[in-house]
Formats: sequence, C-alpha cells, structure tokens
Amino acid sequence: MASGKLWSLALRGLLRNRRRSILSLLAVSLGLALLIFINAFIAGVIDDSLNNSIRLRTGHIQIRAESYRDEKVSLQWQDLLSDLDTLMTRVDSSPNLVAAAPVLWAGGVLGTKDDSAGLQVVGIDVDSDLYRPIRESVVAGAFLAADDRNGILVGRRLADSMGIGVDSTISLTVVDSDGVPQDAFFTVRGLFSTGIVTYDENSVFLPLGKAQALTHTEGHASAVVMLLDDPEAAEGVAVGLRGPGLSVQTWADLNGSFLSTLQTAQGFYLILDLIVMLITAVVIANTLLMSVFERFREIGILASLGMKGRQVIQMFLYEATLLGLAGVGVGVLLGGAIVWYLTRYGLYLGDDAASAAGETYAMSSTIYAAFVPSHFVFLSLATLAVTILASLYPASFAARKEPVDALRAL
Amino acid sequence: MQAIHLEKVTKIYQIGEIETRALDGVTIDFDAGEFTALVGPSGSGKTTMLQLLGCLDKADSGAVFINGTDVGTLSPNKRAELRSAEIGFIFQFFALIPVLDAYENVEMPLLLAGVPAKERKERVTGLLEAVGLADRMKHRPDQMSGGQQQRVAIARALAPRPLMVLADEPTANLDTANGEQAMEIMQKLNRETRTAFIFATHDPRVVSYARRVVQMRDGRIVDDRIVGDGAMGDGVTSERVAVASVGAAG
Repeated sequence: MASGKLWSLALRGLLRNRRRSILSLLAVSLGLALLIFINAFIAGVIDDSLNNSIRLRTGHIQIRAESYRDEKVSLQWQDLLSDLDTLMTRVDSSPNLVAAAPVLWAGGVLGTKDDSAGLQVVGIDVDSDLYRPIRESVVAGAFLAADDRNGILVGRRLADSMGIGVDSTISLTVVDSDGVPQDAFFTVRGLFSTGIVTYDENSVFLPLGKAQALTHTEGHASAVVMLLDDPEAAEGVAVGLRGPGLSVQTWADLNGSFLSTLQTAQGFYLILDLIVMLITAVVIANTLLMSVFERFREIGILASLGMKGRQVIQMFLYEATLLGLAGVGVGVLLGGAIVWYLTRYGLYLGDDAASAAGETYAMSSTIYAAFVPSHFVFLSLATLAVTILASLYPASFAARKEPVDALRAL
Repeated sequence: MQAIHLEKVTKIYQIGEIETRALDGVTIDFDAGEFTALVGPSGSGKTTMLQLLGCLDKADSGAVFINGTDVGTLSPNKRAELRSAEIGFIFQFFALIPVLDAYENVEMPLLLAGVPAKERKERVTGLLEAVGLADRMKHRPDQMSGGQQQRVAIARALAPRPLMVLADEPTANLDTANGEQAMEIMQKLNRETRTAFIFATHDPRVVSYARRVVQMRDGRIVDDRIVGDGAMGDGVTSERVAVASVGAAG
C-alpha cells in the first residue's frame, strides 16, 4: 500500500476528533515552548552571570603575586605586586588587549554616626576603561577623579540601607600592610548601581593612590586586571605574561567555582528537560491510546480488508508524526516569541532573587534570555522524537490485536 | 478439491468458568460461486464459522483449507495477504471507514493488495456503478443512507475479486426495500463474478435468495440442502423458495 494513502489516513484520523487533536497539539507545543523558555532563560542566566563576573570582578586575565590568596585579601607586601610600571609595560603590549589596570583590594568597615558595615574596599585606576561599567552605573553624584584625596564611591543599596547619600561623610577603617587598623574620613562623591546586588551592597571604590596611601602599600597592587576583546584568546595571552613570582589566571580559572557549579547544574537542567518531555510523552501516548480504543472496530475492519500489523503501526506513527510536526511548529513560534520578548525586555526577578544567588552568581536583577539557535533545533528534534516514541505503544497495541477481537463489537 | 474445506473444525470460547463450543467438529465444503445462507439461532456458531472462513480467527482443532492451503499454518501477515486477495467481508453495521468517501472505501482493499492505479480506478468505478452509486462516489458514510452504505460495503467486498464474500447479517439494519435491493445486487454480482457468497442470517428474506441453506445448532450442522435449482452462477431467476421452517428456526 502506498504510504501516501497511509499519510492521508493518518491526517484524516487526526482531523476527525479535532478538539482532542488540538489539545494534544497544544500539549506538544506548550511542552516545547516551555523547554525553549527554560533553556533560553538558563542560558541567559549563565551568560549574564559570567559576563557580569568578568566585567565587574575578574576581567579576562589577572596577574597576581604568586603568594596572593584570594580568600585572605592580604595586604602584606610579599603578597602584592610591586614594580607596577615594568609589569604594566609588558601588559600593555599584549595582543587582544582592551584595557588593563592595577587594582588594590582590602577588607574594611564603613561607619556612619549610628551604623557600620563590613565590605570590600577597591582601589581603582579611575581613568582606566576597565572601570567604564562602574562609571556608567553611577546613578547619583559623580564618578571619582584620580586626584581626589577623600572621595569615595558607594553602592546605592548600601547607601540606602545605611541612610547616606551624596556628600555624606563616612568613616572607613582598613587593616594596613602591617596589621594596624587605619581610619579615615571620606565624602561620598557618587552612588553606583550595577544591578548586581552583591556588588552594590558590598563594595566601595577609592582612587588607587588613596587606597595605597591608606593601607601603606604605595607602589603595590593586589592584581593587574586585563580585559580582552576575545575571551578565547585569554589562555594564549596569559602564557605570554607568566614569569617568576607571578601567578597569571584566566577568566576560566577565576570563575572556576561558578563554572563547576554550572556543570553540576547542567545535569539538573537536563533532568528538568526530561521531566517536561516525559509529561508531553504521557499526554501523547494517552491521546493516541484513546484514539486506538475508539477506532478499535475500524482497525478490525482494515485488518479484515487485508491491512497488516506493520501498516497499522505505520498509520498511527504517521499520525503521531503529523501531530508532532504541527506541535513543534506551533511550539517553536510560541517559544520563539517568548524568547524574543525576553531577549529584548528581560524578566525582572527582583533584587531578592539576585541576592539569593549569592557570591557565586553575579546575577542581575533583570535577566535577559539568550537566543541559542542550536537549542531550538535540538529541542524541536527531541520533542518530535519523543512524540513519535510515545505513539509506539498505542500503535503496537492496535496492531497486536487479532482482527476478530477488534471486530467483536460489530 | 473444493475451494473452501473445513475439516473437523472446533472452536471453543472460554468465558470465566463456562466453556462454549462455538463450533463442534464441523466438516463442510463450499464451492466457488455458491450463494449460501448459514441459518440457526443465536449462538449456533454462524458468526464463528464466518470468522474462521475469513481467517480472522484460528480454529482450536481441525483445519480450514482455502484453495488447498491450511490457513492455520499461516503467519498473521500471510493471513492478511490471503484476506486481502481472496476474502471480502460485509458486516451488519456496514463497517465503512468513516473518514473515507465511497470511492476511497471501495479502493482501500485494492490499495492494500497493491493493485495499480489505473486498474483500481476502473474496478472501483465499475463496482460503484454496478451497485447504483455512481453519483455518490464522493460522499462519506455519514452522508449516505443505510442502504447506500451497505451497497458501498458490497462493492468494497467485491473489489479484490475474491474467492468468497462473507456476510454477517447483511440486511439486519436495512428496511425491507433496501434489504431486498442489497440481496438482488449481491445475487446479480454473484452470477457475474462467480464469487461465492456465504451469509450468516436470521432473515427469511435473505434465505429466500439462497441456493443452499446450511442450518446450524449448538456448533454443529444439522441440515445442509440445495434449495434452488442447484445451478451455480447461471441465469437462475426462480430459485426463491419457501423456507418457513428455516426462518422459524432463526
């Protein structure tokens, strides 16, 4: 029998109970749209977190003294970079370089008349393009000037929670390179809001010179941070910069805990995908099984006319294929629309969600989905395959029946 | 050798604790071109006989031979092929495929048998004309009367030019006029094609058209006689006989 006729029979089989076919089509479409949404959203979160982390925190490459330990935020001279001029000359001649600058990190306590908060003090080269994201996120007052001796930049969330604003005077206490607490008063020059909650709550910026003076680390820096035009080039650039006493790390090393969390999470997302697909499969199998029961007599008639079991299976598989193709078509449109919207306007999750994501994820409070064409292709094919596989049981159930059993209703 | 031969065929249905011998050691022959009524009360084994003849079911013991082949030895696929080539069915409830129009319903067994397109068209058109439905080819079952549907079913049963057509209560859901029209069409086609028609029926009108009446009871054949002039497929016009006794048995 020509398979064209079987396709036609399959199509008419679907059209005869339109409401049920539309419901099953919706199950496939919504399942696929949900999968597309989940995957685009997760890809968005990952891109966002990684980009934020690189842009605001790690850069693509960091050069530090070999003995520097991230978790200690040590200010002892042997743990810091010295001879910054020579190092910067080497760094500036690196290929793919967009911006590079020394930075000094210190733990500190910010105090007002009636409140105090522990935070990270960051001494920055205020003229460097590296800090353009901070400059652009100033929401009140102004960014710092290089020769500003008592200006400080505070995150707006921190400022709000401590009741301070532009021109407020605050005290900052840091422990210097000799382990002695150092106090100084600063005037808040500006407030920044990067959208990264952990950042806006826990960081203050000073000009590098002032930070060095306060901590008695003149001429030293915790690290030189580099931004490249191509993240893939980082490894090669890093190799060229390695030298005695230096530790050169790339964004992949620096975001190691994030990336490894990501790997674990990916398994979890796969399970999520599978659950959605399983639900879709159950709906499809159920629909087709109902359709088989309803058409039991008809299958018997076709068998009495000489239709073989294989052809009965084929007919139901074709039905599932048509249902799957239509469902995937609608699902791609629906999922595509959602993803388009989310790549354009984003999804506002609120500060609490972003804050809950914690230190590991530098998550923005608004997440933009990432459009990944390969996701669309893979998820569409997987959904189609799942739909067809789900029809195998009902189809073989229909074909297994002796014609006489199917005809008994006659 | 006879075209169709049943040799000591037994078929048992087990429903719970109760065992029913639907057929009990039946031996019978059918010839090409017969026009035969199987009569008997409900549960006498008529439908079971048709199902075994139609290779829709298997005998528990004994054998069914069609053109010399023991159909019990065939695989499900081979049985499907045999049905497709040699056996046509007509059911009480017409049993057309609801999503196909009249033309497509008649064409279906030919598609399954792999008949080429040109020949399919000739046969389907010819048969629908023969049953008086040339103007209803594009009508779906729900757009036709019961009588018209049953005539489509007759055309479909004959489309593969089978050895035999098995009809289970073909007139049970038709009024008198449509029932007689269906029987006349079948009688005419039986003569023209020499296809054997075997009916299971309670309907005295159907029996009155038969040339051979096989009476069954409790899974056995209790009477088997030629009631017409015995001629198979010739121009018989006056074979309608009084069968009051048989009708009473149904």
